[in-house]
Amino acid sequence: MPQLDFSVFPSQFFWLVINFALMLIIMSRFIIPKTAEMINLRKEKIDGDLEKAAEIKKQVEATIEKYNEALALANSKANISLQKTRDELKETINRRQADLITRLNAEIEAGEEKIASSKAKALQKIEEASADLAVEVLGKLGFSGIKVKDAKNALESIKKEQL
Amino acid sequence: MAGPMEQFVIKPIIPIEVGGVDLSFTNSSLYMLLAVVVSSLILGLCLTKRTLVPNVAQSFPECIYEFISGLIKENIGAEGLKYFSFIFCVFLFVAFGNLLGLFPYSFTFTSHLTAVGTLSLLALALNIFVGIKKKKWGWLRTFLPRGIPAVMSVLIIPIEIVSFLSKPFSLSVRLAANMTVGHVMLKIIAGFVVGLGAFGFVPLVFDALIVCFEMFISLLQAFIYTVLTCIYLSDAMHEH
Repeated sequence: MPQLDFSVFPSQFFWLVINFALMLIIMSRFIIPKTAEMINLRKEKIDGDLEKAAEIKKQVEATIEKYNEALALANSKANISLQKTRDELKETINRRQADLITRLNAEIEAGEEKIASSKAKALQKIEEASADLAVEVLGKLGFSGIKVKDAKNALESIKKEQL
Repeated sequence: MAGPMEQFVIKPIIPIEVGGVDLSFTNSSLYMLLAVVVSSLILGLCLTKRTLVPNVAQSFPECIYEFISGLIKENIGAEGLKYFSFIFCVFLFVAFGNLLGLFPYSFTFTSHLTAVGTLSLLALALNIFVGIKKKKWGWLRTFLPRGIPAVMSVLIIPIEIVSFLSKPFSLSVRLAANMTVGHVMLKIIAGFVVGLGAFGFVPLVFDALIVCFEMFISLLQAFIYTVLTCIYLSDAMHEH
């Protein structure tokens, strides 16, 4: 079995050490630093980008917070303004309503007074006409000598009795 | 036809003798050198045009880098990254040694216990160096874990020493045996291609499938060898 040929052991040992040392030198001097450099650069770049992204995210969050604050402030201002307008409108309506009621009441009162005076005048005319009619009827019935004044008094007394 | 074991014969290419010791540059040495040159060339070419967003070629060394880095962090911890170069080279050396051996008429130096054993001895030396550097005299505790009664130490210390020294041996045997068996199987089945004449295509297809399987095994064995090296290094760095 060639693997057990002791005569080649020193040569195998010697050349493996030499070749492995050569490989160690080439790899550690050229290949590994070149590979590691790019990997580290990429890692730094990715880390940097991630940091930048986190910073931008923080800025966006701050902007959103500011926007929300401004929105809340604008909302509260609008609400105050709306409430103020609402109150003013309510006050105007109430004031105008009160004015209208007062005016209407005055007009109703005036109307009622007018109606009352017309009614009184009409009643007075009816009374006068009734007295005249009564005197005339009584005259025709043969009761002459009854005056209009007596008829009026009689009507007055009947009215009082009715009351 | 050559026997299945002949492919493992080490032949000198440049005979060198120093002080009566044969240090000839052999076919095994050539493939070790090829593993170094080919892996360096491939990774070096992949890294010629480096960009922040990697292209397919650049991704190859980066994937290996990330893979080894993950392996070290998982098995040793972040402090193990100090020995990244060593672990990285162990993986590449074994992986390329295994893969180059799959080419027809090539030589698989990882099928030789001496070659892989030397690599394991280097890992053992690093293990001892790191252990002593980190724990000073406390490293000797490796052979006598805490809480063991003094009476038992007579028994435990030799067992622990044998266990410690057998680690590189088991590491080497696992890899060398896997590579040897794979190549012997390929050779035997390849022998049937000629032997069966017109029906030779059947073992040929089978051989092609085994080559694919062996490629997977080559990478898997390199991975296992690297993981175990990491675990041994972790033992040296952490409490037993």
